[in-house]
Amino acid sequence: MSDVSPLETEVAKLIVQTLTLKVDPAQIQPEEPLFGDGLGLDSIDALELSLAISQSYGHQIRSDDPDIVATFASLRSLCQSIEKHRTK
Amino acid sequence: MNSAALLGLYHANRVLAWENGHPITYGRFLSDVETLADLLPEKPTVINLTDDRYRFLVGFAAALVRGQTTLLPPSRAPGALAQVAREYSNSYCLVDGMEHVESLPSFQIPRSTGRQNDTTNVPQISVDHPALVAFTSGSTGRPRPHSKTWGSLVAVARSTGARLRLMRSDQMTVVATVPHQHMYGLEASIMLPIQHGMAFHVERPLFPEDVRLALAEVPSPRMLVTTPLHIRACVTSRSRLPPVECILSATAPLPSSLAKEAETLFQTRVYEVYGFTEAGSLATRRTVDENTWHVLDGITLHQESAGCSLQAPYLHEPVLFPDLVSLQGQHRFVLHGRGTDLVNIGGHRGSLNDLSQKLNEIEGVQDGVFFLPDEKGTAVTRLTAFVVAPEKSSEHILSALRTVINPVFLPRPLHLVPRLPRNETGKLTREALLGLLHKLHNEERHGT
Repeated sequence: MSDVSPLETEVAKLIVQTLTLKVDPAQIQPEEPLFGDGLGLDSIDALELSLAISQSYGHQIRSDDPDIVATFASLRSLCQSIEKHRTK
Repeated sequence: MNSAALLGLYHANRVLAWENGHPITYGRFLSDVETLADLLPEKPTVINLTDDRYRFLVGFAAALVRGQTTLLPPSRAPGALAQVAREYSNSYCLVDGMEHVESLPSFQIPRSTGRQNDTTNVPQISVDHPALVAFTSGSTGRPRPHSKTWGSLVAVARSTGARLRLMRSDQMTVVATVPHQHMYGLEASIMLPIQHGMAFHVERPLFPEDVRLALAEVPSPRMLVTTPLHIRACVTSRSRLPPVECILSATAPLPSSLAKEAETLFQTRVYEVYGFTEAGSLATRRTVDENTWHVLDGITLHQESAGCSLQAPYLHEPVLFPDLVSLQGQHRFVLHGRGTDLVNIGGHRGSLNDLSQKLNEIEGVQDGVFFLPDEKGTAVTRLTAFVVAPEKSSEHILSALRTVINPVFLPRPLHLVPRLPRNETGKLTREALLGLLHKLHNEERHGT
């Protein structure tokens, strides 16, 4: 199992809280897909999550690719994106 | 035979679509339609799966020219597509990528030649031609088809445009966050523009930052076609949107406080459109000013013993409202809420009976039911399901459900329970289901 960074732990909690998921944040594998077959999230979740992320980290998520799966591929890729763009 | 033009206004050099900041003219559009119409397979019906709004429109228009009917499946879930494919087996799929529906041939839209048609030969389409078939989930488990004539689509577009005074303003450009494969998206982001000489952005922005960028890519005046969900996202994130002439919202009621915030923050006017698949868009309101809905010109409202209905010149018979409404004369009504079976999650309408039936068809499920808990706050309230399936895990049931229902309806959460709280007659009341949910929450809180 891969190591989980402090930011990943924090964002995993944010995901579970924002989307009222019934999983333990520690159970979210950083490399597992968040959408589709992984946690089964959809575009409404993506929108809710983008709001929570912009409020917590000041990062305005955008999908130049209309395929949101690319933006939210996994907890890890999401955190890398937050790390790069965060303003708070 | 009566016909109506494909375009309400035609100038070859006028812009129809914006793609990555590049304009596509009405002249090139007619040329692309003519080319594609010659190439389409000889079949009566087509499932148009193209994601790009311009390419979808080229496919839709070419199908009209060829006298074909476009099918709008209730969702992109493989099971939903397969069901429509089974019932309309002599169809083909129009695609712009690698999409594929089992058992149907795919036809890829060729790249545009970029050629522009300078003639003024705008195709005329018979008003009686069934331009499309939209589906609602019937309570029987099978999607119910609703055929829309070209005449009805044009009439709705024109009366909506008249209400919004589109002909009196400069050429507006629509940016839409909603898919064009649903009735509202098709009416507001395709039919409204082509019947009023307007333009649209080919993409479908999702996040507030996407919306801001898409709006910035098109010239003013702009119109945002969207939903309460996206409006809330843009308001909450305090997006600095470029000037927007008006915002059109549909799919769920927009709280008046949110409409007010959006009007102030974005210096715009916010209108709501109300409609349902059987009748199409039928009423509007300026949310900050009025609670009542004003029907579009030509529509009249009637009180019947079974509920309220509406009549319009393009409807063959009066259509009953699926929602609870009370009439204020023949032209205005107040919306009170939905019937008990219908739910609307993020703009997708579904039937609880239909969803429960699909759940009960899954192998290993002995009993199961979907229901909508009380809505809380402004977030989207998701469905909950209770399932009796002693041999199966909730993951197994969820992945089986995912192939047969629109994913927005996936239960969140799905509770595995030993039995459902059915009463002596075998019925499940809402009170009993809420009681069970409450009990489960309490148990969770106390860690039992």
